[in-house]
Formats: sequence, C-alpha cells, structure tokens
Amino acid sequence: MTTPATPDLTARVGTVLLKNPVMSASGTFGYGLEFTPFYDISRLGAVVVKGLSLLPTPGNAPGRIVETPAGMLNAIGLQNIGVERFVSEVAPRLTDAGAVYVANIYGRTIEEYEAVARRLSGVPALAAIELNASCPNVKEGGIAFGSSPGGLSGLTRRVRAATGKPLWVKLSPNVSDIGAMARAAEEAGADAVTLINTIVGMAVDPGTRRPILSNVTGGLSGPAVKPVALRMVWEACKAVKIPVVGIGGIQSAGDALEFLLVGAAAVQVGTANFRNPNACVEIVDGIRDFFVREKISRLDDYRGTLLLE
Amino acid sequence: MPHGSPRFVHGKILHNTGSGIFYRMEVAIPERIDFVPGQFAMVSGWPGNDPLLPRPLAIFRSGGPRGKGTVEFVYKVVGRGTALLSGLHVGDPLALTLPLGHGFEFPGEDRSWWLVGGGVGFSSVFPAAAALDAQRSDFEIFLGARTRDQLPPGEWIPGGAVPGRVHLCTDDGTAGFFGTVGAALRDRIERRKSSGPERVAILACGPREMLKAVAELALPLDIHVQVSLESHMACGFGVCWGCVTAVRDGEKAGYRRVCREGPVFDAREVVW
Repeated sequence: MTTPATPDLTARVGTVLLKNPVMSASGTFGYGLEFTPFYDISRLGAVVVKGLSLLPTPGNAPGRIVETPAGMLNAIGLQNIGVERFVSEVAPRLTDAGAVYVANIYGRTIEEYEAVARRLSGVPALAAIELNASCPNVKEGGIAFGSSPGGLSGLTRRVRAATGKPLWVKLSPNVSDIGAMARAAEEAGADAVTLINTIVGMAVDPGTRRPILSNVTGGLSGPAVKPVALRMVWEACKAVKIPVVGIGGIQSAGDALEFLLVGAAAVQVGTANFRNPNACVEIVDGIRDFFVREKISRLDDYRGTLLLE
Repeated sequence: MPHGSPRFVHGKILHNTGSGIFYRMEVAIPERIDFVPGQFAMVSGWPGNDPLLPRPLAIFRSGGPRGKGTVEFVYKVVGRGTALLSGLHVGDPLALTLPLGHGFEFPGEDRSWWLVGGGVGFSSVFPAAAALDAQRSDFEIFLGARTRDQLPPGEWIPGGAVPGRVHLCTDDGTAGFFGTVGAALRDRIERRKSSGPERVAILACGPREMLKAVAELALPLDIHVQVSLESHMACGFGVCWGCVTAVRDGEKAGYRRVCREGPVFDAREVVW
C-alpha cells in the first residue's frame, strides 16, 4: 500500500467535521479576526472564540496576568463584547474568512446561558457551542456549575434543550474526579467534552505582601500544565464515548500528537498563540510532517493508539 | 496585506551591546518595516519555555534596503527576560512580532512639541524626535533619571545638538536640572507664560507616576498630552486582554488594551 503524499488530517468531533484536529482555545485567540494579518484562519480545524456572555462584560481590574515558571496565570474576568455584537459584527466576518468557528459561552445564571445559546442557534455558520462551565476567575463564570457532577449535569441539560447546535462542554481540572465530570456531561446530552480549562493558582509579592492579580487567584496555563492536562484527557477518554477535545500546554506538533495518542479527537492550542501568533498553523504543518515521516495516512489510524503493554 | 499590519518574523542579532545601564540591539529581519513612533515589538529569543512570554520593546529605529530589513531596540535589564536578551550574541536568532500598537499622533497644526522620557521611556520618544527632526518641527526634549549614569548617551538624542533643546533632569542633581522632569516642565511652562502664547503638545513615556504628574500639570493649561503606557502583556496583539488600563469613555469607564488601543493614549482618557 502506498501512503499518499498528503495524509488525511480530517478530524471529527461528533457531527462536526474539521479539516484538521487543531483549533484555537477560547480566550487566547480573541474573536479570530485578530489573527488574519498573520495567516489565513480557514487553515485551522476551527476557531474557538473568546467566551461570550449575554451582555458586554467589563472584566477584572488590571493586574490580570503574571508569568510563572513555564506558564502564566490569568484572571481576565471574561471581558467580552457580548453575544449580540458577536452575532452582528464578528460572525459574518468569520464566515467571510472561510473559518469554521465555535462560540464559547458563559452566563451568570442558567437562564443567561440558555439565552446566549438560543441567540447563537440562529447563526447558520456556527459549528458548535462550547459551554464554559469552568472559568475560575469570575464567581458567575460557570465554576459554580462546573465543580460538581450534579451542577454540571443540570446546566448541560438546560442548555442542551435550548439549542440544536452541537454542544461541547468545557471541563474544569479543579475537581477530584475528571471522569465523573465527563460522564455527567455525556449523560446530560453533551456532544463532546473539551478539557482542561486552567488550573487555579496564585502569585504573591513577598515585598509588598500583596497578591499580584487583582482577583487574587487566577488560572494557570502554558507548558507547566501539560502533564496534568494529558493525564486528565486520557482519563476522560476512558470514561466517555463522546469525543474528547484535548487542551493544556500544547506548544508544538509533538505536544498535540501526545493528546491525540491518548485518545483526543482533536486539540485546542491556547497560550502558545501568545508567544507565536503562527503557533496553530505551525502545529498543523508539524502533524502533517510527522504523519508523512511515519507513513501514517489518516489521523484516525493514529489517534487513541497508545501502547500500554 | 495592509500597510503596517503586524507580522511574525525570525531575525538575527547584528549587535547587542551595553552602554551604561542600557542595551542597544540591532536585528536583521526579512523585510523592512515601517512604524509609527511609539509602536513596539514582542521579542523573544532565549531557548526553552521559561520565561514563556516574549517581551515588549519599543521600536527605536528601522531601516534596510528593499527585501532586507533591520530593526533596532534600546532596553534596560529589568527582569529575567531582558537579562536573557542582554546575554544573546551576534548571529543569535530572535522571534519578533511587529509593528504593534497605536503610536503617537502628530496633528498637522503648527505647534511646539515637548518630548518627555523618564528612565528607559526615552526609547519610545526618541523615534518621535527623529520624525519631528526630519520634518524640521520645533521640539524640545526632557529626560529624567534618578542619577547621571542612568541618562542615555547624548549622541543617541535625535537633533540633540541644537542648543537649548535638551533638558536633562536628575533626582539627585548629578546632571542638569536638580529634580524631576515634572518640576522641570513646570519651570518651562512658567517661562512659556512670560514669553507669550505658544501652542504646545507633550508626548511622554516613562514611569506611571511621572506620566500622571505630567498630565496633572499640563492638562489644566489646555496642553495636549499623549502618554505611552507600560503594562505586563502576554501577546502584544490584542488577544489575551491581560494588559488593559482603565480609561474614561464618555460618561462611562472601561478597560482598554495597552497593546492595541495603546500604548499611546490621550492623557485625558486615562484613569490614573
């Protein structure tokens, strides 16, 4: 059998077909259009936009980020333009750019989540809704719903009923049993789970005796979290039948391949975009090069093939 | 691609040498870039993931023939990132995203320009001085530092040879005016009053307390002030929302990105 020169990188996240398994992670890619000076965003599997709320949200006071060893903490507080402006101003431009796009959403109440999901259901080109049930930086950012299987199940069920769009549920790593959380989302009707969101952390200044972030705590991301993320993605893959999207510290094609190997259907690249605006497309190219080199013709022949013996 | 839109490029260090507490680094990049004074680049070059994020550096100069560019930065070692930068050698690779941000504006009307640089803040006002010098505009420069050794070398000042143009200020009186740039500006404003009306605009970059002092001094006198702010930033091109500063927006206040809507703001908008 000959291996085609161009491997088939097509990835499937439930009913959503992606030309490759690399997506941007919400909160690290703006609304996607910010990247058009750097490359054609239609080259990505999908663009996942910054978390949208029913009304525009001002976000937290400055002192929002701090660098930590091989990572960073952020407490942005979900500053965003609101779902209405996204639908009227941004979505048409993403469609014009040829991008497959996914909207990450959050609400202060279940009713707000439902309202945002309903509003987005009317955007034909929108590929999926990613439910942020795990933002650690605002009390109302979903963590209240996302920290127990019961809370997550209730929220997922309600949003599931509010939209016909494919529904992905983004899971918090700040739980004791990630498999139980993935199962709760699956049983409540999620089409996929995406993980991990950031790990709650903290930084203080020993001189001023003050926390560095105005929010005191923030979410850790970057290479520092990758081993934790990989373990949780592996556990989630074993716990559910729905697709799992792997996120957490992916900087290179090699990192992305690790998540695919343990069973992720696709990956999202986050903090790496800050250091290198071309990170996502370089990872797409790197995965393709790896498959050519290893004579792997399709993504499906590789993903989930971790050897444990 | 629109003119002046940001790009991510790989470069090679042409020189990277210390002069007192400042380093001056020139980098060869694939293409010449045009920039507005006050714009900046995100720069990284050290191997590995720690520190993770690139560092914002004001663009000091750019040049080069067609198809080949150079860009120059002046920086001070303030933390691990700049310490690592200062240890890089000729020929070492760098990754740069540039040009970024909203730079200084130069309204067309005839006026005098007062450029104010505190600490390493001169690195973003000197390009403004170079632009004003090239169009033979009337400008003066106020440079503030704690002590004489922390002032930039005189030969770096664009148009600095013109008598009376450069006002050096040191907190300890070891060079020039004994006091802050704010105090020196207050003196200059007094002299302006006695010598008749003169339309002035101030462009300033430096520590936040200095910028605040300049704004509080000049704004009540209807002197137009633009300030270039510093902030910790992860991306530099508007997607992380980590670098925001509070601004007045009509009746409301909001958070705007230092990297995108800034780093240069109209001082009237900034909530100090």
